[in-house]
Amino acid sequence: MRWRRLNKNRMKIEESAKNAKQDKQPFQESINEMTGNLTEDLNLIRQEIGHNSDVKFREFQMGTTGIRIAIIFIDGLADTDVINNHILVDLMWASPKDTGHPLKNSSLKEFIKNQALSVCGLSEARALKDITSGIMFGSIAILVDGLEDVFLAGVSNAKTRNIDEPPTEALVHGPRVGFIENLKDNTALLRRHGKDQNLSIISSQVGERSKKELVIIYMKDIVDPHLLEEVKQRINKIKIDDVHDSSYIEQLIEDNFLSPFPQVQSTERPDRVMGALMEGRVAILLDGSPFALIVPVTFHMLLQSPEDYYERWMAATLIRILRYFSAFIALFVPSLYIAFISFHPGLIPTKLIFSIAATREGVPFPPLIEALIMEVSIEVLREAGLRLPKPIGQSIGIVGGLVIGEAAVQAGIVSPIMVIVVAVTAISSFTLPQYNVGIALRILRFASMLFASMFGLYGVVLFFLLVCSHLVRLKSFGIPYLSPAVSFRLSDWKDFMIRVPLFLMKRRPKLLHPKDSVRKR
Amino acid sequence: MTSSPLDRITSHQAVMFITNFIFGAGILTLPRTTTEKIKTPDSWIAIIVSGVIITLVAIIILKLCQRYPNETFYQFNQKLLGKWVGSLLSLTVICYYIALSAYEVRTMAETTRLFLLQGTPTWAIMMPFLWIGLYLVQGGVNAIARLLEIIFPITVLFLLMVMFLGIELFEVDNLRPVLGSGVKPVLKGLTTSSLSFAGFEILLFIYMFMKEKTKVTKVPLLGVGIPFIFYTITVVIVVGTMSVDAVVTQTWPVLTFIRSFEIKGLLFERFDSLILVIWIMQIFSTYVIALFIATLGLNQIFSKNSSAFIYSLMPLIYLVSMIPKNINEVFKMSDVIGNFALYLFFIMPMFLFVISKVKERKYEKM
Repeated sequence: MRWRRLNKNRMKIEESAKNAKQDKQPFQESINEMTGNLTEDLNLIRQEIGHNSDVKFREFQMGTTGIRIAIIFIDGLADTDVINNHILVDLMWASPKDTGHPLKNSSLKEFIKNQALSVCGLSEARALKDITSGIMFGSIAILVDGLEDVFLAGVSNAKTRNIDEPPTEALVHGPRVGFIENLKDNTALLRRHGKDQNLSIISSQVGERSKKELVIIYMKDIVDPHLLEEVKQRINKIKIDDVHDSSYIEQLIEDNFLSPFPQVQSTERPDRVMGALMEGRVAILLDGSPFALIVPVTFHMLLQSPEDYYERWMAATLIRILRYFSAFIALFVPSLYIAFISFHPGLIPTKLIFSIAATREGVPFPPLIEALIMEVSIEVLREAGLRLPKPIGQSIGIVGGLVIGEAAVQAGIVSPIMVIVVAVTAISSFTLPQYNVGIALRILRFASMLFASMFGLYGVVLFFLLVCSHLVRLKSFGIPYLSPAVSFRLSDWKDFMIRVPLFLMKRRPKLLHPKDSVRKR
Repeated sequence: MTSSPLDRITSHQAVMFITNFIFGAGILTLPRTTTEKIKTPDSWIAIIVSGVIITLVAIIILKLCQRYPNETFYQFNQKLLGKWVGSLLSLTVICYYIALSAYEVRTMAETTRLFLLQGTPTWAIMMPFLWIGLYLVQGGVNAIARLLEIIFPITVLFLLMVMFLGIELFEVDNLRPVLGSGVKPVLKGLTTSSLSFAGFEILLFIYMFMKEKTKVTKVPLLGVGIPFIFYTITVVIVVGTMSVDAVVTQTWPVLTFIRSFEIKGLLFERFDSLILVIWIMQIFSTYVIALFIATLGLNQIFSKNSSAFIYSLMPLIYLVSMIPKNINEVFKMSDVIGNFALYLFFIMPMFLFVISKVKERKYEKM
């Protein structure tokens, strides 16, 4: 039913877009058009963007013909190599065959396009708006006296950083390549990874003002067309002045903004994106952001690392189970501690309860307050360590972790057992391969501690039921969030908690309804 | 609240529905309730016999449902019995489910108070439980089915594991003599043991949501079969360990059994409270299913699709669950509900099945 409703919406949007186009076109043509007179045209462009100090104008004459030419570009954005070695040289030396009479407009244009300019990316534009936006994107505008069409040459060659190993997703095994801020480089990285012709990269623009380029990437013969439509439609709906990072897109297209769980996966690794595409998911890349978005997300993806596939299957399986275990610890251990100590000491072995009671002697706070003091201070330390430069961050870790922990115990504010519990919890939450999952679990941990302090073990179970109830209701782009854990389908379980040997993974996950389901023969 | 037929569940999930609904608070008292009537160690035979009977009834229900593949019981009973009688029957069924969910919630609260939270008032225990159930039911049949798939393995594996931890206390002598006083006591206990399987009738309501509708005989077979095996194991182990006399005197024989042994060297030494905590999830699933079926019924009788029904059911369930004054009255309530279920879901489906057969013949003759 949802699909149907969305389809209807889509049709409506398309219609309105068409209408808008028809309305606008004549209006634009009548006002902002190049006239063909160089002086007038230059004035027009100057009026529009000439007040910017980084917009450069350069006028010269074409070869021996004396035809005036002007080029406009943005300093630092346009490729100066192309300007010096191709545009200036070519046009200044160009000498059309002397036919006796002056070149007509059309033949002049053909000559410049076909014989003079030796640049590959060349387009023509007439509307002022297109020209200025082209310049803003880093193209070089070439105005020729007597021609109404303006050539836009070259592409932006803004300075970018080198391709590095992604700092947020470092691996022991696997390619040491991460996305960077330049979209063209990123798509090229993906092309280099997967030379499949079915890898489709569809471009569109977001940001009413900043007009950032965004690409939707998918495997044409694998992806479920419904999913693709849904993604396109949600991106079309974005109406915002500017998107600074792909996480803007993430927040604008997610299903449930009230959920603590991330419903879009962001990654810096091209291999992870390729893996997701091969499963039939869709990736979104935004110019200026090194984070690719992957949709739809299912819960098990968040506890996976690409390394699971690079290691041999036994090690990978073991590490995966370890991750689930540590996610459980990160979420429940402080609340279980609170529940057992304050409600059910009788359930713990007698010797252990005696030693815990001995260490808690002199601690003036109930377990909840004790746990909150430690949990909050460790969160503060973590946040402080993130913001500081690396060397200082480490010393903060030492000061905070060792000194404060030790001192707090000595001073009798918290018990040593509590320090152990908090430390184990914090370390377990670091094993999660995705930063945003860690945050989700941190939020939920506090909630579960509150439940435990009110209802003991019963509260922990209530909290578990609540989280499960939320998760089973949650969907990411129409795909149930908890699949493949539930609804149970044996064929999808081979890549869930355990990862079976590669030769057994013959089919793509069925939950995404791939068109071509065979992965390996 | 989604009851649109586009929300489908797999046969595996349908099995989960039946199994989880049959489980519930009942298993914690099962060895006592059956043994009380029989008074010999033969209660496991009664469980086996009634399991077979229930499987047959469940298959009849399946056959009945297959005549109306896209309708629930609430809709097709009007075709069989007429609009007014059908609606009246549906309302009775809804009342039954409200009472049932109230009973489950109350039992949960009572056991929790007894074993886990001595000082906490009953209402405080019940409130969050009720609200979480409400939140889940709003997610529709699919969400519930998925939750059942999470709960089922956790609870059942845990309980089985704990049961077998106490296996060294098991003595075969406690189960002897087999049929020492003849077949008569077993027959006497048959009603009680059959009632422990109440919940199989859920097929009447969820058949509409199933993806595959042919070759699904395995659904009632497995759905009743899993609790059947599980009940047999529980009764055999508990009666075998504690002997008939001890079982009859204990309010919660299963919990007492688990309390009777300690395992050294593990993180936990005693498991009774732990098993109760785990079993709360199972009670939750029973409560949620009952709530869902009641809401579904109201939606379909009044052909409205609004969440107002769930919200109005909440206080009702709360009030009904507060009617019994103490634990003994809760058990009385359970007896009343059980007897009600006997007429409603053991005899009524047969009756409807016969009517549908007769009607079919009539049309064939015409």
